[in-house]
Amino acid sequence: MSKALLDVRGLSKSYATGRGRLELFRELSFEVAEGEMVAIVGESGAGKSSLLHLLAALDKPDAGEVYLDAIRVDQLSLREQAEFRNRQIGYVWQFHYLLPEFTAEENVAMPLLARGTARPEAISAARRWLSEVELGDRFSHRTGELSGGEQQRVSLARALVTQPRLLFADEPTGDLDNRTGDVVFSLIQRLHKAHGLTSVLVTHNLEFAGRCDRILRLRNGGLRPAN
Amino acid sequence: MDGERVRFELFIAARYLRAKRRQAVIGIITGISVAGVAAGVMSLIIALAITNGMQRDLQDRLLSSTAHVDLMRIASDGISDWQTLLARLKKLPHVTAAAPGLYGQVLVSRGAKSGGALIKGVIPADERTVSGLLQQVNQGSASALEKQGPIAVPPIVIGKDLAETIGAAVGDTVLVTSPQGGLTPIGIVPKYQRYSVVGIFHSGFYQYDSTYTFMRLADAQRLFSEPDLISVISFKVDDLYKANEIGRQIEAAAGPGFQTTNWMEQNRELFRALKLEQIVTFIVLGLIVCVAALNILIALTMMVMEKTKDIAVLMSFGVRADQVRRIFLFQGLLISVLGTAIGLVLGYGLSVFGGHYRFPLDASVYSIDHLPFAPSITDGLLVSAVSLGVSLLATLYPSTSAARVLPAEALRYE
Repeated sequence: MSKALLDVRGLSKSYATGRGRLELFRELSFEVAEGEMVAIVGESGAGKSSLLHLLAALDKPDAGEVYLDAIRVDQLSLREQAEFRNRQIGYVWQFHYLLPEFTAEENVAMPLLARGTARPEAISAARRWLSEVELGDRFSHRTGELSGGEQQRVSLARALVTQPRLLFADEPTGDLDNRTGDVVFSLIQRLHKAHGLTSVLVTHNLEFAGRCDRILRLRNGGLRPAN
Repeated sequence: MDGERVRFELFIAARYLRAKRRQAVIGIITGISVAGVAAGVMSLIIALAITNGMQRDLQDRLLSSTAHVDLMRIASDGISDWQTLLARLKKLPHVTAAAPGLYGQVLVSRGAKSGGALIKGVIPADERTVSGLLQQVNQGSASALEKQGPIAVPPIVIGKDLAETIGAAVGDTVLVTSPQGGLTPIGIVPKYQRYSVVGIFHSGFYQYDSTYTFMRLADAQRLFSEPDLISVISFKVDDLYKANEIGRQIEAAAGPGFQTTNWMEQNRELFRALKLEQIVTFIVLGLIVCVAALNILIALTMMVMEKTKDIAVLMSFGVRADQVRRIFLFQGLLISVLGTAIGLVLGYGLSVFGGHYRFPLDASVYSIDHLPFAPSITDGLLVSAVSLGVSLLATLYPSTSAARVLPAEALRYE
């Protein structure tokens, strides 16, 4: 077994609601090994997306520790969080969340441009990744000119263009029909293997979850391996 | 903040501005903001060009009518042996001309009509080198002042407004009464003398046209019983904006008991009023820019609301809060730069056009026959700085709001 790239210890998160605090999960602890592909499943509202937000430094936990290798993710400042999201991880959302004013290659190049990479270099990397997700003929298309599956593939290329150590995907096929979803999931699997990625995916689709190395089920505030 | 990151922020800002809006009203308000900034900047440039033109015209005419520096005795006891002093002071550096003068308050009357006046006794050939009033005689002529020797009814040149007040015309005889009369057993009796009006000048300045009156120096000395005394030596200098320091140099050369005044001191209130007028114009027209800045604030605030999800997405892949702030700040600045550039081009263009085609004015009302335009680069820089500064202030709230977006919160409920 490879060493743990992601190490989560005693993670708790709750939200204030009109009727008091809603506890999503309490003292979650788990590890994700380097190169592993882990699926997190659970019912709607179980807190899967919130868990992913904490792991990706998009939110702060109430308690607990999150380590990406030697980086203490839960204690990063806002500026360090941004740097972490830009350099260490890639994130694919359920909806593609592409910026409609920009072309496919500009959308993919965006994380590189944001960190100060020169435009020609960023666009060249974006084109390489668009070709990887089989959209080599869609460089200059606006997002409105792409199908749902293509949009999600552009979103995947955007998440990977920075060559992150860890890929998070929050129901990446949730907004797609079965056939397109299968194409996108297969693509994630292929890129995961080809680029030696470590991936954590949230999915409702047990068939896709079954194609991962390991499945964790989030239920009643606890996370357990699913059989 | 490296160049590539700034380029990225400008790239996003410019694309957001150009893109077709989901809410058309944001595009309309953005357009109104650009037009508003342009209108404000254009109005300011034109208004300042006109006030500059007016000021320049006034200054030119004033300087053609008055000396740059006047030297007089502190004790007002008159300057004796003035010929030697004048010859010495004429040789000072920066002094280009000098002329003697004797001032005195008098009453000028013709029949039942009279008016107060300020007599200046002059040597016309010298006076013409320091003041242009004698060149502005447009009825009759000042040449009679050149004659030497006693004349039964000596010549006098009066201003247009004084002539109208007392109903005098060229060829008429007027009575000049000086309070500096002779001492008699019944007290001081005013001295009076008849003069022939040989010329009427029109400088366009009421102050001069209603009070200044010229006669020969010898006649003035006789009238004021001041044989061979003068009250002032007037100078023209080579740099009129250094009149103050050249004046001090003349004072020092003249010796103790002398003081100088200059054209700036004598007309300080007038130029202060003009400056105040310019400031008020700037403030009033600057309000147009402020209204335009409010439009920028509204447009950007609506844009931030429309783009909340996109901001969260940008932040999710590592765009920092300060970068988001600058994206919206640059948007405001781009609107302002575009508006300011259009305003400058239109403002300077119309000012040059106005100067070239000379819009007519009623000279009897404004004492100038056309609207003067004098656009200045300094005004353009100042107006641009104010326009960009006010717009920058307007971007602070929306850009700060944008930077406060929490990506997880903003995308959770999408």
